[in-house]
Amino acid sequence: MRKVGKPVFFVVVSLIALLIILSFVGIHWQYGDITTTYIKGAKDIRWGIDIRGGVDVTFSPPEGYDASPEDISKAQAIIETRLINLNITDYEIYPDMERDRIIVRFPWKSDEADFNPEKAIRELGDTAMLTFREGAEVDANGKPTGVTENIILTGDDVESAEYVYGTLTENGPPKHFVSLKFKDSGKQAFADATERLMGSQISIWMDDEMISAPRVNAHITDGQAVIEGQFTAASAAELARKIQGGALPFKLTTENYSTISPSLGEGAKNAMVLAGVIAYLLVGAYMIWQYRLPGMVACISLAGQIGLMIAAITGFFGFVPSFTLTLPGIAGIILSIGFGVDASVITAERIKEEMAIGKTIDGAIVAGYSRAFTAIFDGNITVIIVSLILMGSFGPPNSILAKALKPVFFMFGPTTAGAIYSFGYTLLVGVVANFIMGIFAARLMLRSLCRFRPFRKAWLYGGEK
Amino acid sequence: MKNIPFMGLSKRFFTISLVIIAVILLASLVLGVELDVQFKGGSIISYSYEGDLDKDAFAGAARELTGANLSIQASTDIATGRNTMVLTMPGTKSLTGEEMAAVTEGLRERFPNNNLSTLSINNVNATMGAEFLAKCLTAVAVASLLMVIYVAFRFRRIGGWSAGVMGVVALIHDVIVVYGVFVLLRIPLNGNFIAVVLTILGYSLNDTIVIYDRIRENKKLLGDKMSLSDLVDLSINQSFRRTLNTTITTVLAMVVVTVVAFLYNVESIITFSGPMILGLISGVYSSICIAGPLWVRWRNYRDARA
Repeated sequence: MRKVGKPVFFVVVSLIALLIILSFVGIHWQYGDITTTYIKGAKDIRWGIDIRGGVDVTFSPPEGYDASPEDISKAQAIIETRLINLNITDYEIYPDMERDRIIVRFPWKSDEADFNPEKAIRELGDTAMLTFREGAEVDANGKPTGVTENIILTGDDVESAEYVYGTLTENGPPKHFVSLKFKDSGKQAFADATERLMGSQISIWMDDEMISAPRVNAHITDGQAVIEGQFTAASAAELARKIQGGALPFKLTTENYSTISPSLGEGAKNAMVLAGVIAYLLVGAYMIWQYRLPGMVACISLAGQIGLMIAAITGFFGFVPSFTLTLPGIAGIILSIGFGVDASVITAERIKEEMAIGKTIDGAIVAGYSRAFTAIFDGNITVIIVSLILMGSFGPPNSILAKALKPVFFMFGPTTAGAIYSFGYTLLVGVVANFIMGIFAARLMLRSLCRFRPFRKAWLYGGEK
Repeated sequence: MKNIPFMGLSKRFFTISLVIIAVILLASLVLGVELDVQFKGGSIISYSYEGDLDKDAFAGAARELTGANLSIQASTDIATGRNTMVLTMPGTKSLTGEEMAAVTEGLRERFPNNNLSTLSINNVNATMGAEFLAKCLTAVAVASLLMVIYVAFRFRRIGGWSAGVMGVVALIHDVIVVYGVFVLLRIPLNGNFIAVVLTILGYSLNDTIVIYDRIRENKKLLGDKMSLSDLVDLSINQSFRRTLNTTITTVLAMVVVTVVAFLYNVESIITFSGPMILGLISGVYSSICIAGPLWVRWRNYRDARA
């Protein structure tokens, strides 16, 4: 077999070192206020909501309501609008047409110390039926009564509702107001109502909650109206948002949701990072004590494996989206590092055995790696099988894997458990990284190292002293 | 290192395993099996608070607001010194988003000086929880089936199907042990249980494969010169140091994780890494002491009949 050159060790080690530094630190270029990311570092990792806090909620129509796929798409669009209105852009949303469900996941907003998850969930799902009603008569419970039970228009007839700051009359003072535009379907009804109710009120309701009750000041025939009053910028914008988002044909219920506060997850993250560092040091020390030079090489290749995994999770290059890392995802990392250690142990044991039957150092290394390979290969492939199943069954419903597994999981909706998907992903990436680092890079390093005079001693490879 | 006569001791191993399995099954019948909210549905809310908060007064207010006979648990985090109150709704009752918001607001009004804030909410509809559990179990079953097929194919030289099936017997052994850990420690079966089971399946099968790999290699080298029983014994002993060292390093890593998680009081990690340690040990034991010897007995039994 061809010999591996002496410099190869240094080349491989520097490449691994470069990879680790880049994957942890990244490359950012700051020009003025704008930071451009070329290579993502560990701080660009998207942490799952179980770590940085957030909301996981499943919306569904009320029991007994058979929503059509169009209804669900519409509800999804509305939820998306509302999320953006709430200034949440980092969300995941999965519609389930067969089971009439919409799964929404979004992180805690980092700039908001006092984020109220209950309020956010309620705003997203529960405020759904928008109606314009005659008058503003309410009963003791604040529910519409008397003439107010008559519905003039519903949210379906609203084309748009916008918050505007400007003047209403030519020389009037600037004011905050809401500009409304109705669809053709609602123009006539609105024209009739404004004619009939001139001088009295039209109330606007979100389900059973009256959100506004403006007085009719003009007969409006072109379907364009404004709501003015004692608005602040915030209250006018909120009203516009409610009217705009309120065109859902049914009310969404939320019986399935979980939230976790960031302070709770932060502790878990720090604990895992600390545990990872301690475990690496202990395992590394054990490997060197047991296997000497191959153990030393194992420490380097393990570090390389971790670097590759971090790179796969951050997305590495600025334009690649990063992966959401959850607590089970971190467990997957630890597990695949276990497989990395196992690969090194199997190989080192084999080299030791070959030394014991009297082979030369070079011969023992070559034979050790080739004999160890089948066991490592078969063990790792079975892990790949497990991780692919997990990714397919608990991942995004429109991925190739999910489609391939559809015949198996046909009776289940895409109840995506993102946490378990993350476990499958890190496991898969870890095992692939193990093939590259634990087998390929480690062999190159050891075969190069063994050519240096100080390392040509049998006991360094597990032979006799 | 002296050779250990695994084959000779196999009767003892089988007895030990059967006793353990019997104890676990008995314990789960006597103690009952608890499912986590994640699977059975229900509602758990935890609040953090400052200052002094009377548990009974808090419980009373929460019962009044929810109209349910819920249970309350108070605890203090050692690492951060944070006080928490955990409300658990009885049975599989869950709350709608509106009800939940009303409860939190009501409690804040009644205890204005404690700066209550929601730490976490876990609210699961019973039907969806059951569906999630079924899906997890299907994933475990499908993954096991594919692994048997893979083993059967790769080890066809040494009678792949029987090797694959015995590997799975060892896996079932490990799943029962992991299940037993959850039952005996009174941890409700949750998503972590599924994650541990899947991890142990991969690990245990890996251990079995390393031994099968050695049997395959020895068979190629020695052919039929050696009896099957001696061949398996030799193979297990040859790979024993590897098995030992891998187990020591992985268990070491998991112990570190468990200890750190305990110090930080991260329960979601403790209920993962704790059962994992015992699962890892069971996985190694079942690969060495169950899968190999059982396979030899099966082959000998079949050969004797033929």
